[in-house]
Amino acid sequence: MMIDFLQSLVDGVLVGTTYSLIGIGFTLIFGVMHKINLSYASASVGGAYCGLLLVGAAGGKSALLVFLMAAAAAGVIGYVVYLTCFRFIPASHPLGTLMSTVGMLLLIDEIVVHATFGVPVAYPPLYEGPSIELGELYIRPDYLMVFAVGIAAMTVLTLLLYRSRLGLATRAVSQQPVAAQLCGIALYRVNAATFVVTGVLGGIAGAMIGASVGMLSPLLVLPLTVKGLIVTVIGGLGSIPGAIVAGLMVGGFENVLQYYRGVTERDLYVMLLLFVFLVFRPGGLFAAKSERN
Amino acid sequence: MLEVKDLAKHFGGVKAVDGLDLHVRQGEILGLIGPNGSGKSTTVNLVCGVYPATAGTVWLEGQEITPLPMHRRLTAGIARTFQNIRLFGQLTVWQNLWMAQNAPDHVREQGFFARWFGGQARARASAMDYLDFAGLAEKADELASALSFGEQRRLEMARALAAKPRVLLLDEPAAGMSAAEIETLDERIRRLRKGGLTILLIEHHMELVMGIADRIVVLNFGRRIAEGTPAEVQADRAVREAYLGTS
Amino acid sequence: MDFYLALLQVIGIHALIGLSAYVVILTGQVSLAQAGFFAIGAYVAGMLTVLAGWHLIPALLAAGLVAGAVAFLVGFPALRVKGLMLVVATTAFGEAVRLFFFNFDYQVAKGGVRVGPLGGEGFKQIRFFPENGYTTLDVLVFIWVVVGVVMALLWWMDRSRAGAVLRAVGEDELAAQAMGIDLTAVKVAAMTAGGVIAGFGGAIYAHYTTHIEHFNFGIVLATFAIAYPILGGLSTAFGTVVAVLFIQGLLIEGLRFLGDWRNLLFGALIVLAMNLRPHGLLDAATTLRLRRLFGRGGAGRDA
Ligand SMILES: Nc1ncnc2c1ncn2[C@@H]1O[C@H](COP(=O)(O)OP(=O)(O)OP(=O)(O)O)[C@@H](O)[C@H]1O
Ligand SMILES: [Mg+2]
Repeated sequence: MMIDFLQSLVDGVLVGTTYSLIGIGFTLIFGVMHKINLSYASASVGGAYCGLLLVGAAGGKSALLVFLMAAAAAGVIGYVVYLTCFRFIPASHPLGTLMSTVGMLLLIDEIVVHATFGVPVAYPPLYEGPSIELGELYIRPDYLMVFAVGIAAMTVLTLLLYRSRLGLATRAVSQQPVAAQLCGIALYRVNAATFVVTGVLGGIAGAMIGASVGMLSPLLVLPLTVKGLIVTVIGGLGSIPGAIVAGLMVGGFENVLQYYRGVTERDLYVMLLLFVFLVFRPGGLFAAKSERN
Repeated sequence: MLEVKDLAKHFGGVKAVDGLDLHVRQGEILGLIGPNGSGKSTTVNLVCGVYPATAGTVWLEGQEITPLPMHRRLTAGIARTFQNIRLFGQLTVWQNLWMAQNAPDHVREQGFFARWFGGQARARASAMDYLDFAGLAEKADELASALSFGEQRRLEMARALAAKPRVLLLDEPAAGMSAAEIETLDERIRRLRKGGLTILLIEHHMELVMGIADRIVVLNFGRRIAEGTPAEVQADRAVREAYLGTS
Repeated sequence: MDFYLALLQVIGIHALIGLSAYVVILTGQVSLAQAGFFAIGAYVAGMLTVLAGWHLIPALLAAGLVAGAVAFLVGFPALRVKGLMLVVATTAFGEAVRLFFFNFDYQVAKGGVRVGPLGGEGFKQIRFFPENGYTTLDVLVFIWVVVGVVMALLWWMDRSRAGAVLRAVGEDELAAQAMGIDLTAVKVAAMTAGGVIAGFGGAIYAHYTTHIEHFNFGIVLATFAIAYPILGGLSTAFGTVVAVLFIQGLLIEGLRFLGDWRNLLFGALIVLAMNLRPHGLLDAATTLRLRRLFGRGGAGRDA
């Protein structure tokens, strides 16, 4: 009994890194733009597809290459999303931006369906090998690899945000857009860069999902969007550590409930978990300091 | 009329208002001045209930209103304008005034059903009086967002008046206005006082406040540093120091 | 011919869900819960006609009431969150409702067959229309009478204080409160009205398709619901209906000859539309101009 619980918890937490990455993407864009980019998860999955197609077209087979191309392609998609949904719609029209990101979600989704004839495609695992046994606990190597890549991506992102000039500018823009501009920071460039960086992150997440499920399907997009948003809120809007912890938490939670209550009821409990947070801890795990207006 | 006792508001470490006593007497214009960031707008926000006070109480005509939510303070008789104009831009000019018609008088006059679901004729007629007063009658059917800056400031004031308040709080009504506009503003405020309205006037434009205020209270760092007639306040050393920054 | 009748039926149903989101979004609340209210309406009405043997009209009213009551309850916690948090919370609510029906069984034997909702298999045989001999045209008329009543009420609301108050709250909550508007009352009322309208829509939808399943009520429907008023513009309820015609009629049906490419164009056109008209098709300025053109609203000070 106990071991089953632990097993599903561990599997869930390992795969939960993908939720963390998607959550970070939502949170970062929200932090900088104060708007939601609903197309984010679809761009991530779209990037993962592109990676596969590009490498496949070149006759390559390397899973690593697929990962890298997925990240690069998703970065480009991120920039396109910035141009089409954020750059030219005035900040005073948040609904316009919201709706165009929905349009983008549909567009990317449809391009994928169009390119793959709606059939799921196999995705190469990052690593294959025997399971690692820890007592009675089995750790799947591909899951472990997913976890490792996720942690590596988050570490690089944190370094980028806190150690580089771009990171400094991003944080300045997210806190004081006007003052940042006065300091000579090119607002549009920083915003665009944020979209590219979060896009790359999303591409990695998309490829990781493909690798851990073994295939990629457009059907993944909506659940991923919802889970990513939930992770963002549970973690606390704008909080990267919050998104990381919440992603792992939601991953573990849903896998355990799937084990006990079955796949049809699983998501119902995830929603309830969100409501519990909204009622008892509306600021999320790591509530950001309240803003002044 | 409007009385504030020991009012305080702290934002984290910032003591925006810190133990303030104020008394606006029936029918007078009380000027509230002070350097930038001295807590004037915060005082208005506290009186209107935008956020709860850290400490202190607010009375209107002897009734304590501190526990009332924001919208009930308007119906109690306090209306305000905003320093950084906050009109309903997608509504027309007269509709902006319509939104403020929430005083018990309006409700009684119009009756619940007619008020919410009836025609606009009555509400509009009442709004037009204030638009005339503010010189915006011809613009009644424009979108508020289409007005010029000066017109928007006047609309802010007309909207507050449309609520038929007993106390009017004006937060820098002259900011950004031309000299000519300020002159008509001055004249309008005088007419309001003549009509018996009690006014708390926050203003950086010294000529305007010193000219029309009956009394003046000077704030610095959320505390009252001086109070008196315009002449007394102008002569006050502490006031000069606060403004010149020598302490 | 039948093709067009069917299309008009779909448009009517989507108009209802769009209008339900319209009322709520006027107050600045982007609610993705409308599909949930729609689902509640569908299941309640279906169960009342199929299991309890009610006529559709009382069942429709009951569906509106139940969905409205749920929306009323949702309205209070929804007050506490804004922006992205509200989007996520309402999405989660809608999903929770959908997942509830995914797991909801309530079957009884009727004339030898078991009828009623059956979890993942859905709720089949909601046959009020065929059993009572309604033709496609009759159903169409029924749908549009309901749409017409709702539209008339909303048109009236838009011209009354109620509509202006909703917009004032949507534009600036703080200023609205400072002008004496009770935020709680207005937002909860809007959410309740949206719930009632969505409940009507769901009730009709259940009887129009005769077979409902949980995935009919997912995020896609919720997204369409808010897409209509946003694309149509928030200055009049007609904008929402125009947007439904535009999306369901023109984009989805009109472009069918494009085959697969239609869906591609669909998303791209939404992006384009929002870049060109970020306030929607019929924004306040346009509506005002139209009203002037037709000699209403701008009639000067003695209007
Ligand atoms: N919501 C808030 N959160 C944090 N600090 C605030 C907030 N509102 C005001 N403050 C701080 O409180 C102090 C007083 O601000 P307030 O706006 O009341 O000043 P003011 O006298 O109106 O200044 P001004 O003449 O510039 O309008 C300032 O230091 C300001 O930074
Ligand atoms: Mg101020």
